[in-house]
Amino acid sequence: MNRRPRAGISMAAVTGFLVGSVAVLSLLLGDNPALFGDGAGAEALAQNLALPGDALLRLLMIVLALSIVFGIANLLTLHIRRLASGRLMSGVLLSSFAGVIGWHIMLPGEPSLLEAIQLPIESALAALLCVTLVAGGARILTRRSDIWGLLFTLVVVLVLLGSLPLPELAPIATFSDWLMRIPAQAGARAILLGIALGSIVVGVRALLGQDRSARG
Amino acid sequence: MTENTLALISFALTLMVFSYLLGDLPLIRHLYRIAAYIFIGMSAAFTLIVGYESLLLPFWQEAQDPAISWTALGSQADPVIFGAALLFAALLLLKPVARLGWLSNSVLAAVVAIGAAVGVLGALRGTLLPLLEATVRLPALDADIGSLLESLLVLLGTLMALFSFHYQVNPSGGARYAPGKVFRTIGKALIVTALGAIYASTILSSLTILTERIAFLFQYGA
Repeated sequence: MNRRPRAGISMAAVTGFLVGSVAVLSLLLGDNPALFGDGAGAEALAQNLALPGDALLRLLMIVLALSIVFGIANLLTLHIRRLASGRLMSGVLLSSFAGVIGWHIMLPGEPSLLEAIQLPIESALAALLCVTLVAGGARILTRRSDIWGLLFTLVVVLVLLGSLPLPELAPIATFSDWLMRIPAQAGARAILLGIALGSIVVGVRALLGQDRSARG
Repeated sequence: MTENTLALISFALTLMVFSYLLGDLPLIRHLYRIAAYIFIGMSAAFTLIVGYESLLLPFWQEAQDPAISWTALGSQADPVIFGAALLFAALLLLKPVARLGWLSNSVLAAVVAIGAAVGVLGALRGTLLPLLEATVRLPALDADIGSLLESLLVLLGTLMALFSFHYQVNPSGGARYAPGKVFRTIGKALIVTALGAIYASTILSSLTILTERIAFLFQYGA
């Protein structure tokens, strides 16, 4: 059975397409008088073309800043509900949140709370990453014992050994340096180019209203 | 707070996070969770403070300041843009109201479209074009043969690695074109090498932080 598209969805798609096209054209052509020749009106034309892009960018920044506030309000509401249903850990989260806000109101700009609590937890979590990464690397060999798993582990071991400041390992350090400069750089560039191409495709799909999530 | 109190709190919190390594032991497992919940609550509060003091408040002050103008329209347009942004944000909040869903969906689509426009142009100008330029740029012919060879190898490697992303199936069901298979295998090897190098660099960075944390624990514990 064919379903007719809902009016809301098509209106969202049309709005997205129009606003997105204006933003792309304005950001692409605006503030670039060289595109319009050497005439006297070229600069004014470029400035006028940049206008909608500037306004839309500023609007986006304010909406994003407000959406951060909404996101935090949502997090707090969720944890208040969880605390009411007897989950005490949510109380820890809420009290640490209230503690920081209260601290900031009473002692604005005082960094000791950040230094004593936030930074140690962040550093300890980043330090834990080392253990989990090494464990994950070891698991690759047991779970995926093919040529690619072996190559991956070999590269990891070589780069780690190459970073050791031992004169006995100088040949490995030289090879590891070459590995980082040529093959790893080529692979990383291809990955970055792939990400850029993927971002452009996803962006254009969103602009054309093809992406369902972009239509709301 | 005295320096000792700060160090004691840091010491306790570091141990609480490291208790994750002990696994799922009774009582111990709660220590890591408490540290994680404290971290999330504090991060949310700091994000809110920074969002308000560094974004919303300056935007509001700039919108009212006649000496500052966001666009070529002049400063009188700024409060209108600020008001429109507030209206957009309020309409986004109306998403759960079924009757007004079309309105909040349209606002969401507009916001996503502006973000997509910025993302597309950013990827094009910030990543794709500079990377392509850096990849295809070869050193001058009078440069030493080593750097010329290196640039050529990076160019060929990048092309082969990009080729390995291409999904290809022979419609007749026969064997794939042999040179293509070789290129794809070399490309895949280069991508695995890059991922391995990134993985090792991440291990090295976190190892540095782990060393610093362990040194702190020993220093304070002693």
